[in-house]
Amino acid sequence: MTWGLDDVRVSFGRRTALDDVTVRARPAEVTIVVGGDGAGKSTCLKTLVGLVRPQAGTVRRPPKQRIGYVPATSGLYADLTVQENLDFIAGAYRLPGGQRGERERQLLERTGLAGVRARLGGQLSGGMQRKLAAALALLHAPDLLVLDEPTTGVDPVSRVELWRLISGAAAQGTAVVVATTYVNEAARAASVVLLEAGKVLASGSPDAILRAVPGAVGTAARTGAGLPGPLSWRRGAGWRVWAPGGELPAGVEPATPDFDDAVVVAELAAQAGR
Amino acid sequence: MTPVDALAESAAVWRRFGSHVAVRAVDLAVAAGEVVGLLGANGAGKTTLIRLLLGLLQPSQGSVRLFGAPPSVSGRRRAGYVPQTLGLYDDLTVAENWSFTAAAFGVRAALPASVAGVRNELVGALPLGTQREVAFAVALAHRPELLVLDEPTSGVGPLGRARLWEQIRQAADGGAGALVTTHNLEEAQECDRLVVMADGRVVASGTVAGIVGDRTVTEVRSADWARAFAVLDQEGYEVQVHGQGVLRVTGQAADVQKVLAASGIEAQARTVGANLEEAFVALVSGPAFPGRAVPGPAVA
Amino acid sequence: MWAMVAKEFRQLRRDRRTVAMMIVLPVVLLVVFGYAANFDVHDIPTVVAGPGARQAAASLRPPFHVTEVDPAAGLAAARSRLQDGEAVVAVVTGGAGVHVLMDGTQLFSVETAQGALARLAAARAAGTAGAGGAGASRVTEQILYNPRLTTSWVMVPGLAGLILVFVGTLITSLGVVRERQTGTLEQLAVMPLRARDVIAGKIAPYLMVAAVDLTAIVLIGMGLFGVPFTGNVATFALGAGLFLLVTLGMGVLISTLSQNQGQAIQLSFMIMLPQVLLSGLIFPVTSMAAGVRWISYVLPLTYFIEISRGVMLKATPISALGQPLGLLALLAVVVLGLAIVRFRHDLAPSGRRSGKDAQPRDAGSEAVAA
Repeated sequence: MTWGLDDVRVSFGRRTALDDVTVRARPAEVTIVVGGDGAGKSTCLKTLVGLVRPQAGTVRRPPKQRIGYVPATSGLYADLTVQENLDFIAGAYRLPGGQRGERERQLLERTGLAGVRARLGGQLSGGMQRKLAAALALLHAPDLLVLDEPTTGVDPVSRVELWRLISGAAAQGTAVVVATTYVNEAARAASVVLLEAGKVLASGSPDAILRAVPGAVGTAARTGAGLPGPLSWRRGAGWRVWAPGGELPAGVEPATPDFDDAVVVAELAAQAGR
Repeated sequence: MTPVDALAESAAVWRRFGSHVAVRAVDLAVAAGEVVGLLGANGAGKTTLIRLLLGLLQPSQGSVRLFGAPPSVSGRRRAGYVPQTLGLYDDLTVAENWSFTAAAFGVRAALPASVAGVRNELVGALPLGTQREVAFAVALAHRPELLVLDEPTSGVGPLGRARLWEQIRQAADGGAGALVTTHNLEEAQECDRLVVMADGRVVASGTVAGIVGDRTVTEVRSADWARAFAVLDQEGYEVQVHGQGVLRVTGQAADVQKVLAASGIEAQARTVGANLEEAFVALVSGPAFPGRAVPGPAVA
Repeated sequence: MWAMVAKEFRQLRRDRRTVAMMIVLPVVLLVVFGYAANFDVHDIPTVVAGPGARQAAASLRPPFHVTEVDPAAGLAAARSRLQDGEAVVAVVTGGAGVHVLMDGTQLFSVETAQGALARLAAARAAGTAGAGGAGASRVTEQILYNPRLTTSWVMVPGLAGLILVFVGTLITSLGVVRERQTGTLEQLAVMPLRARDVIAGKIAPYLMVAAVDLTAIVLIGMGLFGVPFTGNVATFALGAGLFLLVTLGMGVLISTLSQNQGQAIQLSFMIMLPQVLLSGLIFPVTSMAAGVRWISYVLPLTYFIEISRGVMLKATPISALGQPLGLLALLAVVVLGLAIVRFRHDLAPSGRRSGKDAQPRDAGSEAVAA
């Protein structure tokens, strides 16, 4: 059972938020929607879970009972304790007592929250709040788990733990869709959708996207004279250069493109196409 | 680099708040023209260290110098600070924000060309990348010699990030030094060198390659990856899913192979180099520090 | 420093709601309350009964406004007119003399009536020789329901309502806006909860707390100020229940119109302020200029005060309170209806899924074709 968006268009008034967007979510796979701020990632996820209705295209999703969603903004009640948050979710999804208790215990252990059942949500650190939000979304063992920027602003250690939680969900068969601005997270997905200004610039497995980088990519050292060519961008103390035709300019060393390069190249190509 | 060259430096600086030690024995220096990344989790002491360097806090022990002298108001005037929240007024236009800051610093300057195009837009209505550009422009208006930036590019895609770093690099090329605090590993990789903090002390310092060192993890490829994940997880290994059917496991390849074989799972396990994230986690949760399972103090 | 001043002005200029509050509101309030704030009573509905009714009626001049003249009616009928609130003064003529009954819950009307009667008596005394007829009759006055014209007896029932307006409208609006601000509202929309479950779940606790509040205030008022409770508790409860539904519905409606708690507070305040001064709590509704009086008629507190004063002080039967109860019910339906429509729109913009129960487990997925 594959879920997702097919050629979906979403407009808010005159502004087109999603233009012909296709995203596929398969069980036991992590699909990552990556893009900068305003690219349409949140709109994409909200359309997937039913908060936004598209003007065109098809959306396939499981019934509400089988979806777990964590919005970018919160995911938990700050003025309820960890346990009370769990109780609310259990009630809302009408989870039977027995299996819920075991699942709750497992999730709390995984997220390191077992010792703070009585602490208020608002008193947890940012990373712990995001972990709790993810746990709440997983409590009812959904078929589709959708997380909107779960790791933005979160410390690296909590981020790793969140990804372990997400990995675990995928390993148990859940289809996972994550929106993120971090390109290095996208590289670990089974399938990536690169969004910019509501359009899909690239999609497929990270390897496939890398293989599809047209032309050649190279590096250049910091030059006093300025940009080594128009299609170049800073990385660290030096530059990365892209030659669509395959011929790198003089003074530029060839390099193996990494996923970061692939994303920048896709964005540059889209800009050139406009 | 002699002490005189450093724009900002701390030597064996300590800072206590009551019984809590926020910063312990930290040596740090930022020279002209370099971009130093300060990397650490929340509560690692990054913010406290910044405030010590700028003179907003007094050290309990050790010394701090800003532009070669103890930090002072005039010293702070020569620094530019961009907080994570940007420090701009959402309900004012770009031009209005600019004129307010310029007047506050007593500087007469024209809005730079890079953001002049949006001068009459309300800051709150701009996309995040443009907001950050405006915030930088405003911070750079009085030509600071030291830039202190808090997570300058989080939330912006790679092309936007590159454009923002262009501005930081330009300032550095012009002789300014930059101290970037972050817990974003992508951003960390843009810096010339990194200082990794945990629990108030510096646990590693150097380039990315230097920090990762020769740490390794085990990469596991298997058709039955879901079960491999469950089994390894059960045994207490830290496992992450990478791509389709690929796992990265913290542990020796030989041990991992044995565990999988014992459960009858067919898989190939090989040793590969760790990435910065894995190295960071290893650094901050080594035996000297509390285990990650501990939730930490309540954040009021 | 000037940079700071300029900045604040610029920010203020763009914040329309605050500018409206600071400039427009005082002007509107001044005009409205100038016309509404009036302790003078010019119109006292009066009924005249008893054998000498017609002559007595003829001799009554403004401020008395004779609405009914019934020679066949007696003391009992006159009392019931007052109890039902149809008249404020009843003049009962009969063998022993003229007996004037006055409704003690209408403080200013009674004082004005007393003054007018005194002037009438003085005029009669001065011109007894030429008046004839009722010249020599004795005039007795009796103030019903609030014999000593105690202000607190009249205020407490009204204050109970006012406090509920604050609690019901303001606090309910904040409770719902908080969800919108923190983003948890979005999540509720994705959970298998029906829109009406969420709304009912949101209002129910406030309803219960407000009911307890009201009971406490009434009991304390009775204990502290000696305010009587002469009427039917069930009638009071009905009126209170309907009133609460209106104020809480108002709170939910405000929350759907506000993006954050600050705005919710501003809107609530703008709704509550007119109710303080135009509901008849302080200034009698009948004294307000007609152009302003219509506002009182759309305020729920106006009707609640009528009900609470009537039931507590006059034992007004439910049959006589049909109009205020009916209007409260109408207001409740309108306000709650609007609130639910807006709230449901907030919760489930994808339309088709709202109100449906969760699908059975094996039903797989559904394709939503647009």
